[in-house]
Amino acid sequence: MSQTSKENKITLALFYCQNIPESGKQDRQSLEEEYGKSIRLFPIPCSGRLEPLHLLRALEEFADVAYVITCPEGECRYFDGNLRAKKRVQRTREIIESIGLEGERIGIVMNKNSKSLARQAHEIMENITHLRPSPVLSPHRAQQEKGEKRDNC
Amino acid sequence: MASKYIIDTQAVPNRFEVLTQSGIIAWEEGCLKCPVCVKKQCVYGVYDNRDLDIRQMIDSLDNQCMNCLRCVQGCPKELIHKSINPEYEALGDSHWTPYVIAKSWYQAETGKIPVSGAGYSGPFSGPGFDSMWTDMSEIVRPTRDGIHGREYISTGIHLGKTPRHLTFTDSGDLDSDPSFLVDIPLPIILRIPPFGSLGKNTIKGWALAAKKLGTFLALPYEMIDEEIIAFKECLIPSISPAQPYGDDGLGGVRLIEVLWGKNWKAITRQITETHPSAMTAIRLPLVGGIKETVLSLVNSGVSIISLEGTSNGRLVDDNSVFMRDTIRSIHLALVEHGIRDEVTLLVGGGLSMAEHVAKAIICGADGVVIDLPILIALECRMCRRCTKELPCPVEIDQAASSWVASRTINLLGAWHNQILEIMGAMGIRDVRRLRGEAGRAMFFEDLDRNTFGSLGEVQEGYELE
Ligand code: SF4
Ligand code: SF4
Repeated sequence: MSQTSKENKITLALFYCQNIPESGKQDRQSLEEEYGKSIRLFPIPCSGRLEPLHLLRALEEFADVAYVITCPEGECRYFDGNLRAKKRVQRTREIIESIGLEGERIGIVMNKNSKSLARQAHEIMENITHLRPSPVLSPHRAQQEKGEKRDNC
Repeated sequence: MASKYIIDTQAVPNRFEVLTQSGIIAWEEGCLKCPVCVKKQCVYGVYDNRDLDIRQMIDSLDNQCMNCLRCVQGCPKELIHKSINPEYEALGDSHWTPYVIAKSWYQAETGKIPVSGAGYSGPFSGPGFDSMWTDMSEIVRPTRDGIHGREYISTGIHLGKTPRHLTFTDSGDLDSDPSFLVDIPLPIILRIPPFGSLGKNTIKGWALAAKKLGTFLALPYEMIDEEIIAFKECLIPSISPAQPYGDDGLGGVRLIEVLWGKNWKAITRQITETHPSAMTAIRLPLVGGIKETVLSLVNSGVSIISLEGTSNGRLVDDNSVFMRDTIRSIHLALVEHGIRDEVTLLVGGGLSMAEHVAKAIICGADGVVIDLPILIALECRMCRRCTKELPCPVEIDQAASSWVASRTINLLGAWHNQILEIMGAMGIRDVRRLRGEAGRAMFFEDLDRNTFGSLGEVQEGYELE
């Protein structure tokens, strides 16, 4: 794949509620074109569907940072899915802090002004540029670089 | 009698988790801790066997759920909701719908006919082939004896010109040359799709599938290399007049296709000279006024014509017209001119389900050419990321050729069985008899006219109360 200009050293796993504006297939693909391998997008039916496990597994496997975008407070289609997501993000933060990772590696954006997916993603990307690649992934990365091409399965 | 044509299928697991329609939203917060939680009562054990596919963050909750809604209805605090998985909704487009894609995955995985349960809850009619129905008046026959029962239903067709009459020598031997007919046991030819994250093994796998199925794989001439040419007897190299063509080790190929273009005649002549034993086919885009071109080609001796609509089943020059009626009119024009058997008419573009094969044949094609279904068989999500150089979410180019071949064979095996079902129910035992049998089908426009035509027309701007 071609190296895109905005490709970062770190990877963001971005979960987002399917009800946020301009978050359809095309919008998603434009973001992927823009950021290349630095972004992994996961649309979910409701932000309340997200569990600490999703965020933790993402950090463990491929992401340096994991964020979730929810609908504005009071506007969740399932009433309080976004509030639950907020609590879960908080809890997950505590977990990663307790093992010595920066809490900022996990974040939530409650889309107050109903911004588009792309605008939110840009802002999150700006906010995380100061973070180092995650120490959790270092062994993975070294391995990947060694044997980038996988054997046929 | 020749032995029965049966496609052997075997379950071939997916390489990635499939996307399903279900999007469960199940919350813990506020739980009343009922003595017996509805989650424990799920008969499929969905909540007990929970797992997460990390590559794509797919929750097994969604993939195992059978959508009975028992848990949703049963939770006294209404903590469980069901929504639609946004990833599933984003599959494909309005023609290659998530439903079509998911059912094709199922067929490629299992080799079985997809069954959607009791009754049909969809709309009465839809666009294109969805506005035609086949006569099922003989439906008792296959159920009595099964589609692979005593009555053999043949799906074989031949490609090329059928001789009008046979001639014999004085000694009584056959005088005409029968070599200019090629038989295939299935009215379906495979074609390399217009896009896809394809690797060498993908092409090889499809060639292998074509060989095992006894049909052909049509592919651009430039794609043929030393490894692929090993499958020469089941390849149809496609030669574009825009590209230089020299003789190139195509010896032994049985069928060569020339794309429509200014100098198609010169190229066809060149091929006939260098490969006298190969048949040539002409591939034309299916456009509005193509009928005249087809007639003149047949009159000039072209014996195989492949007509290609768009990938959403419409005319290349008019996206509002479905290819259905154009195929019918071409077939009827050939019949009127008394030259229908001088040519094999193949039709392709947008055929996404087994029933489309039967319906295209009823409209007048001899056989069909399919491309995207064989890509979807490999778990393609029709996201078209590959056309933008983005990575393929299901890494199709990394799949082994044996996997590619088995998945393709499974899909075609399931389609073959469905074609047999349709023909059995129609009481037709040879697919060549199905060609142009429009009298054994119903068309929405005709039904609408016959039923409501006498009531007059609704004027524009006039509201029915
Ligand atoms: S909807 Fe039915 S199958 Fe699905 S999780 Fe609930 S109880 Fe189980
Ligand atoms: S899944 Fe997407 S990227 Fe992969 S082959 Fe299909 S359309 Fe192309």
